[in-house]
Amino acid sequence: MPPHIEPPRIQEKPLTKPFAIQLESVAKKYGDHTVLNNVSLSVREGEVTAMIGPSGAGKSTLLRCINFLERPDTGCITVEGNQIDAGTNFTAKDLAALRRNVGMVFQSFNLFPHLNVLRNVSIAQERVLGRSRKEADVRSMQLLERVGLADKAKQYPSRCSGGQQQRIAIARALALDPRVMLFDEPTSALDPEVGLEVLAVMKELAAEGMTMVVVTHEMQFARDVSDHLVVMANGTIIEEGDPEQVFTNPVQTRTREFLRAVLER
Amino acid sequence: MNILTDWPAFLPGLLAGLGVSVQVALLSLLIGIPGGLLLAIGASSKTKLVRILIIGIVEIGRGTPALVVLQIFYFGLPASGLTLSSMGASVVALAATTAAYTSEILRGGLQAVPQGEVEAAGALGMSRRDTLRFIVIPQGFRVAIPSLIGFAILIFQATSLAYTVALPELLSQAYSIGSTTFNYLSVLVLAGLMYAAITIPASWLTSRAEKRLARHL
Amino acid sequence: MDIFLTILQGVPMTIGLTVSALALGALGGIPLALGRRSTIPGVSFVAVSLIEILRGIPPIVWLFIIYFGLGTALPMLDPLTSAVAGLGLISCAYMAEIYRGGLSAITRGQWEAGEALGMGRQSVLTFIIGPQVFRVSIPAAASYAIGLLKDSSVAYTIGVSEIVYFANDQSRQSSDALGPFFLSALVYVIMTIPCAWATRALDARLRMRVAR
Ligand SMILES: Nc1ncnc2c1ncn2[C@@H]1O[C@H](COP(=O)(O)OP(=O)(O)OP(=O)(O)O)[C@@H](O)[C@H]1O
Ligand SMILES: [Mg+2]
Repeated sequence: MPPHIEPPRIQEKPLTKPFAIQLESVAKKYGDHTVLNNVSLSVREGEVTAMIGPSGAGKSTLLRCINFLERPDTGCITVEGNQIDAGTNFTAKDLAALRRNVGMVFQSFNLFPHLNVLRNVSIAQERVLGRSRKEADVRSMQLLERVGLADKAKQYPSRCSGGQQQRIAIARALALDPRVMLFDEPTSALDPEVGLEVLAVMKELAAEGMTMVVVTHEMQFARDVSDHLVVMANGTIIEEGDPEQVFTNPVQTRTREFLRAVLER
Repeated sequence: MNILTDWPAFLPGLLAGLGVSVQVALLSLLIGIPGGLLLAIGASSKTKLVRILIIGIVEIGRGTPALVVLQIFYFGLPASGLTLSSMGASVVALAATTAAYTSEILRGGLQAVPQGEVEAAGALGMSRRDTLRFIVIPQGFRVAIPSLIGFAILIFQATSLAYTVALPELLSQAYSIGSTTFNYLSVLVLAGLMYAAITIPASWLTSRAEKRLARHL
Repeated sequence: MDIFLTILQGVPMTIGLTVSALALGALGGIPLALGRRSTIPGVSFVAVSLIEILRGIPPIVWLFIIYFGLGTALPMLDPLTSAVAGLGLISCAYMAEIYRGGLSAITRGQWEAGEALGMGRQSVLTFIIGPQVFRVSIPAAASYAIGLLKDSSVAYTIGVSEIVYFANDQSRQSSDALGPFFLSALVYVIMTIPCAWATRALDARLRMRVAR
């Protein structure tokens, strides 16, 4: 086996790449509990952004604001040139245009249990992209092949392991040819060993240049795979920058405390 | 009274009645369940007025005995210029009752579909309509099937109420045979057993359905 | 208004009929529920068959069997007695199933705890399990009672003077055929909806007080 050579990604992607995602002053409250306090964040094309932070920091909420699964109270969100200002009224069409470019993978997979694996991957292609069943199934099989699950096509999700279900969920999201992928703790419902299958697929995706935002508790993944690390606490981004830099020499005390807590476990 | 000679003599008339009963039950369910689905979807409408209106209709529909609904459609409506045959009135009345009851059953089923799947469909860009049609309704129906079968059994039993509007269903047939032969007990017991011969196996089906439901969910 | 007052005359009969049938069912359901769980050969089969037959035949048919069928031989079966007997019998079967549900909601731990204290099975059933079963059964029994209240309207077909009986009478007598039935529907809705709400509230409360 040849020695594994890390692709020199940083040189490949000069900072002049345009932004894929821009969040400007995104704020969200539940009642009088502020969950996001004017958060701004930019993600460049082809960049992998990892988001870490203590439980309840608002990571999931921020991620879900990107595709408006959660509607922010205020703030402006731009994904691949489609902009929605949460403060104004927007139409279902605006929302569809924005979501069109965004794929999402959930902690709990959320596969459709009444549809077999192939239908799970095909249904949105048919309904959203207007592909015929045949075209959709061809594309789905390619993707299932790619995540190593072509043999499961006719099975129902309940017959697949957690790791397999999550890989199917990734294929399902990729089937719509998104330009941005959002992951919310994709491995935390999985045994560590099974989680590796999923992380491997994600690494491959990153290497191919997919723009990704990953909320994760996998510090190893954040450190090795991400290009940009974001640390959140109490509804704000307390620190962000080069992952290696943040891990080895965090500026904020709060970051240091958090990293010590998770790394010394 | 001799069952061995009586019952074969009663059977043709009763079977004809049973046919009418089954027909009324099936038609009521066929019309009523889609109605129930519409009400169930409407009950989760975003418009408050629609929601209140639908919940009101459902509560009134469930609060009124099927017998009274039947009297309204058969004896009451002609006064306002709309006359229904006894068959028509029975089907419409039982379908209305079916819609009211099954809307609650289906609402429970639809709510049992995990929110995460609805979100996943949204994140995939599927419209609300498509999400309902392909994700929520198929699963909600599946969850509701045992209760729907249970309700179908009750509606089949409720067709006996159509005796009051002179529909020649099973009970009417039994009663009229009784009044000509003066052998009420024998013919009514036979009719009762004929109802039971359908409802009891059907109720076994309910528990079978419950077990099968566990698959793929 | 007169029509409404006339229809209201049927309310005591409807309620009386419902309560009597329910009382019969609450008592008769106990041996049926216990019989169903019995390990004595045949007992469980008989109990299950009785329950299935009682529930499998429509209420109105039971009333006809009792009133027209048995009534020719037994003259003391007037309409009211027949209706109470018929609805009562059906209630026994439904209440037995409700008790069964209640019994299965009580965990094994309760039996074990009782027996570990040195109580016999009989007294565990009477003093520990029984009271809890009744408690968990109340919500289901209440919704059954609401259904029974509506089902009691079939008694009109054998001439019991309850709500629908009066509504029917008024519909025939007055020029307004529709009104009396709407009013009777209103009376039922008024009686059942608050019961249904109370049941839901009660359900939530009682669940907290039963060991799980
Ligand atoms: N629907 C909701 N209603 C009320 N509060 C909510 C809701 N969703 C989230 N919150 C609150 O918002 C805060 C941030 O939640 P969020 O799920 O974004 O945190 P997180 O950083 O993803 O945490 P975790 O690592 O545990 O997933 C939490 O305090 C949570 O209790
Ligand atoms: Mg989270």
